[in-house]
Amino acid sequence: MRPSILTTPSQRHKQRKGAQALSFVRVYFALFVIGAAFFWSIYSIVTTRAEEAPPGTTTLRIGHWQLETGVRDGLSKLAAEYQKLHPNVRIVQDAIPISVYPTWLTTNLLGGTAPDMVEVPRYHMPDDIILSFHNRYFLPITPYITRPNPYNKGTNLEGVPLRKTFKDGMRNAYVKETQEYMSIPLSLFGARVFYNKDLLKKLTGLNEAPSDYRAFLKVCAQIETQKNEKGQRYAAIAGSRDHLWAWEAMMFDPLTYPAVRRVDFNRDGVVSSHELFVAIKTDRMSLTFPAFKARYQMMREVTNHFQVGYTGVPLGDAIFLFAQQRAVFLSTGTWDARSLQTQANGKFEIGIMDFPRPAPSDPEYGSLMEGPVYEEQEQGFPFAVTRNSKNAEIAVDFLLFLAAQKQNEELNSIMGWIPSIQGAKIDSFLKPFEPHLEGVYTALMLRLGGETRNKYQQVYSLYQSKQIDFDQLVKEFEPFYKTRGEADYLESQRDWRRGILINEQLLAAQRARAMLGTGDEQKLRWIKYRAFTTSRQVLPEVEHSQQLALIRNGPSLKSTGPYEYSAELLDRVRRRIFGAHKEAAAR
Amino acid sequence: MNLLRCVSILLALFFVSGCGKQTLVETPSAQIEAGWDAYRLGEYKRAIECFEAASRSGAGTDAEAHALYGLASTWNLRRPGNDPIKAAAIYEKIIASAKTPAAKDVAAWSSLALARMKHLVGVDEQPDYPAVREAYQACIDQFPGHPAADEAFIHQQSTYLAALAPQDAQVAAERLEKFVAERSDSPLLSAAWLLLAEARQILCQPEASLAARIRSLETLEEDETNPTDKALTYWKIATVAEFDAGDFATARKYYNLLISEYDNDIRLFASRAALKRMDELEATLIAERAERTEASR
Repeated sequence: MRPSILTTPSQRHKQRKGAQALSFVRVYFALFVIGAAFFWSIYSIVTTRAEEAPPGTTTLRIGHWQLETGVRDGLSKLAAEYQKLHPNVRIVQDAIPISVYPTWLTTNLLGGTAPDMVEVPRYHMPDDIILSFHNRYFLPITPYITRPNPYNKGTNLEGVPLRKTFKDGMRNAYVKETQEYMSIPLSLFGARVFYNKDLLKKLTGLNEAPSDYRAFLKVCAQIETQKNEKGQRYAAIAGSRDHLWAWEAMMFDPLTYPAVRRVDFNRDGVVSSHELFVAIKTDRMSLTFPAFKARYQMMREVTNHFQVGYTGVPLGDAIFLFAQQRAVFLSTGTWDARSLQTQANGKFEIGIMDFPRPAPSDPEYGSLMEGPVYEEQEQGFPFAVTRNSKNAEIAVDFLLFLAAQKQNEELNSIMGWIPSIQGAKIDSFLKPFEPHLEGVYTALMLRLGGETRNKYQQVYSLYQSKQIDFDQLVKEFEPFYKTRGEADYLESQRDWRRGILINEQLLAAQRARAMLGTGDEQKLRWIKYRAFTTSRQVLPEVEHSQQLALIRNGPSLKSTGPYEYSAELLDRVRRRIFGAHKEAAAR
Repeated sequence: MNLLRCVSILLALFFVSGCGKQTLVETPSAQIEAGWDAYRLGEYKRAIECFEAASRSGAGTDAEAHALYGLASTWNLRRPGNDPIKAAAIYEKIIASAKTPAAKDVAAWSSLALARMKHLVGVDEQPDYPAVREAYQACIDQFPGHPAADEAFIHQQSTYLAALAPQDAQVAAERLEKFVAERSDSPLLSAAWLLLAEARQILCQPEASLAARIRSLETLEEDETNPTDKALTYWKIATVAEFDAGDFATARKYYNLLISEYDNDIRLFASRAALKRMDELEATLIAERAERTEASR
């Protein structure tokens, strides 16, 4: 600023001073703001941590992404109960939205600042990254799984090894690559159909939703003919692109089960994507196979009762439609049960039903639907203890507390989820979520990868939005699948080779532990090493060749399918039966 | 501006103050342990430092062989940055200089590692099978009866079976028969029986394949901390018995084992269906025979 000739020297001095001060502020303002924010954050962190961890206490942090109603309350309640037993321990939750949880977790694990216990984001991050977390940042809990859970004292699980107290025997907690148990799962999950009981009664006069498929469709049609007081038409089913999976998995896909007997060439009981490809490529099978066709037909019949344009609707909108009482049915999982109950509280009563099933006498689906739908007991809400934890023993102890029969029942009752522990009672509201442990499952495995996957997604989207019919879907997809499938399969096999090398890396570490170990521990390490070597490195070599030969040459079976009796075999059976009869007669 | 510079430098010093170099542990065994820990964590640079330090501090002792083995394994298997030439040279050095039993033990595993290096090729490459088999044979010949040699034998037979050709399967079958007869104490006995079952399958000998599969299950090492899923093994034995060997009694036994031991297995429904199917087939065959007998009278 240039000084004016009309100002006095003192004024000019003041102006100079002011200009200097302004200049100082301009230069250092950003630094000042950063510094202030820095010191404020230090103050906030120190005061918050002091509140959470008063002197003389041990504070454990538990990180998870479950923001659904009841979860934080449940953990807080159980933490308070744990604190009664261990007055010097405090448990603090870090509840992080799932959209940022993987990044948050990765950053904290890398920086050594992760909570003592973290929920393992198994389905939210690539498998290889989760495996590297297991290897690098999580502590194996294997030493605990053969010991009884001390918090089961006084229950029927007293003295039972921890592993056997879980409904699935902790199968999902076992990481084959590390040959260790790496987490403790606290809940079970499943999907069912939720419905608005009051609205159903009002629109159809029914107290309960029908479990028969045809009756269900009829009720849906009846609901859609009616309008609310604002003149808006009711939707039978609130659907979205994120809700379709449950209807597919629990209703449409199991119809394809009869194909297992024709396509499961390696006879492992399930159809793999490469087996289905071989079957279709060699014209042993087509998407027009009655069971496959029925699957697409049922999908069309059911989604006809979703609200218009559901394929473009996100998850939240469908839930909103249901909560606003503009739709009667909504399919979702246990994780949403308590939230839906809270939203409906005081407005309407929620019912839960199993997915409707065609009757054996159903003219179109009865013969194809061979049994109930098989559901895997999916254990979830798994927590691992991090290596950076200064109180790992206490962290494991707290998880054992949560996994004890009584405590697991209480926790899940508050969360509205299904307990993972044997004998822990399920909330009556969730009874319909009891899994079906025996039944049929899908044989429609079209995920070869690459271009065929993209093509399928394109045509399937068009089918969902009714832009093409089933015949067009087959016409568009099947020739492409037959032509491109082998290239996509071979590309996926490159990953198999990479996997073999990764296994070799893991085996070297396992072998070293066994070589350097002593006593019983060494013996156990060698057993694990050999089990891994056989199952991951030796047999896959042969199985991979068999798979490749199948892809290139087709099945060697000429007249019989994998689960059919050949004439030669029937002769063998006759010889055995009648030979046995002769022997019996002779005796 | 000087003040700004000073503050920036102070802040930089403050932030990097936590990045001090981690000190290396002292004794050779602790250094080897630390080396493998670093290897497991994927910190290969540190692993190499630890193994090199251990090989220096343990020079002339058995610890040197262990340290060199860790070093060779890291150079062999680290990704990225693997150096197979360096790794092979170290493995060979271990084999050449092994004098004591402990060092010879490490040498046996080094010999297996050399064979595995030949077997495990890049993504778009094919192994040179004759060379791979020769390398496995070298391990078998040099260290007979050692677990590494047993493992080399198992891998070697898998290369014959992977060809899926009857003549190769015959070679593997003969060797495996000899192995299961002579090495009943081998910890890899179950794996050998399983490969034998595959060989018999390729040779279209369903009953021999079924018997080998059952022996494999019977000789499986038990690990109570591993939830080994035998459901698939039971299922495989049952289906081979039902559809290849026509041995319904064995099939029933294993379908029933699956049903009783795995109440939530995916194959439960199919197992019950199989039991019903076999009952129905047997009833039909018996009825047919009765009809024929009646007619012939």
